[in-house]
Amino acid sequence: MTATTPPPAAGGRPAVGPRPPVPATAGGVGVGGAVLLVATRIGLWLVVQLGLAGLLLLAGAAAAGQALDEVAGWWLVYAGLVELGTLGVIGWLLRREGGSYRDLLGPPTAAWAVAVGALGVLAATLPAVVFSGELTSAVYGQGAIAPMFAIVDLPPWASVLSVVVVPLLAELAEPVAFLGVVLPRLEQRLGRPWLAATIVVAVWAAEHACFPLLASGGGLDWEFAAYRVGSVLPYLAIWTAAYYALGRRLLPIMAARWVFNCGSALALALGLVQ
Amino acid sequence: MHSRILYRLTWLALVLSLGHHLDHLIRGNAVGWPVTDEVNAFTASLIVYPIIITGLLLYHAGRVGPGFWALVSGGGAAFVAAVHFGPAAVEPPELILDHYDQPMLGWLAFGWLVVFVSVLAITCLYETRLWASQRQARHVAQPAPDAEAGR
Repeated sequence: MTATTPPPAAGGRPAVGPRPPVPATAGGVGVGGAVLLVATRIGLWLVVQLGLAGLLLLAGAAAAGQALDEVAGWWLVYAGLVELGTLGVIGWLLRREGGSYRDLLGPPTAAWAVAVGALGVLAATLPAVVFSGELTSAVYGQGAIAPMFAIVDLPPWASVLSVVVVPLLAELAEPVAFLGVVLPRLEQRLGRPWLAATIVVAVWAAEHACFPLLASGGGLDWEFAAYRVGSVLPYLAIWTAAYYALGRRLLPIMAARWVFNCGSALALALGLVQ
Repeated sequence: MHSRILYRLTWLALVLSLGHHLDHLIRGNAVGWPVTDEVNAFTASLIVYPIIITGLLLYHAGRVGPGFWALVSGGGAAFVAAVHFGPAAVEPPELILDHYDQPMLGWLAFGWLVVFVSVLAITCLYETRLWASQRQARHVAQPAPDAEAGR
């Protein structure tokens, strides 16, 4: 898979793009690897947050009903641990099944094409931004800030981490995991790309219910969890569609997401989101 | 060489456009000529149907390619986004969400609009890539003039 231009499919019709290499074991260990990757991410989100909340409780630094919310204020930082864990599993899968990290990113793409593609992906993300904003207003009131941003409370050094390091780790791990590893394995297993893409978007969105965990009325804030899934769903659907539209090239999507996530973290760090 | 995916995306965008215009008609709060006497963004947006039909005929005849469709999709996405999502939007989301008796219908219409603009934008990305790859393929197929002259 070194062609810059996707080869035409049968009948001279241009294909969406060459499917990334999936190991011969994709029907078995391949899908198992995808499940392991998703389970690791969800498990890490839960373990890190509940673990930190438990530590706060043990140290007496937070009351029982406040520990989760205290921890949630740091989610833009401890997200880095989840991304590192994801990269670890991706590396383990690559060693076990063969292939390289570069293969997961799709066909070679010139720097200018990555930049143009990223601009296109950013423009295509606008409807998701608008939808998410309207959903936030409907659930939390006109002009309200989304709770996952409103709750962020970091000292300067941690803000630097959340702007410089974590968004980079997130782009190296998250889209590569879902679009570069999980999606092709599901496509190969199911034989229907649209079904595989739908499942990936649904699971990817559902994962967002796990972070940050917020408390409400002595339990988890399920309304926020549902809102989080609903608000992120259009973003993930658009990015997955863009992955196909760009011939399974991940770099433009990673670049656009980095601009988006880094910009959000920077706006929070600078206090521009009030 | 015709792209089956391009045809499908064009038909999908056409259906979504018709659905969005139907939403305008049902709401009745952002319509223009020929429904009312006023010529406005609604009226201007109707130009898309002759463009699509003409484009499909020309594409079938091989007179236009993905570059043409990228302009149509991208222009459509920019127009609809500016009218509904832009900072100076003449028909902001509230005009859709707040004008149905059932809030769920308002969200359905707004969700339809979000999908519509997203499909136009993604289609533009796909067509631009197709256009670029076809140009690249033509360059590879055509020998350089210097090489011809040197023979």
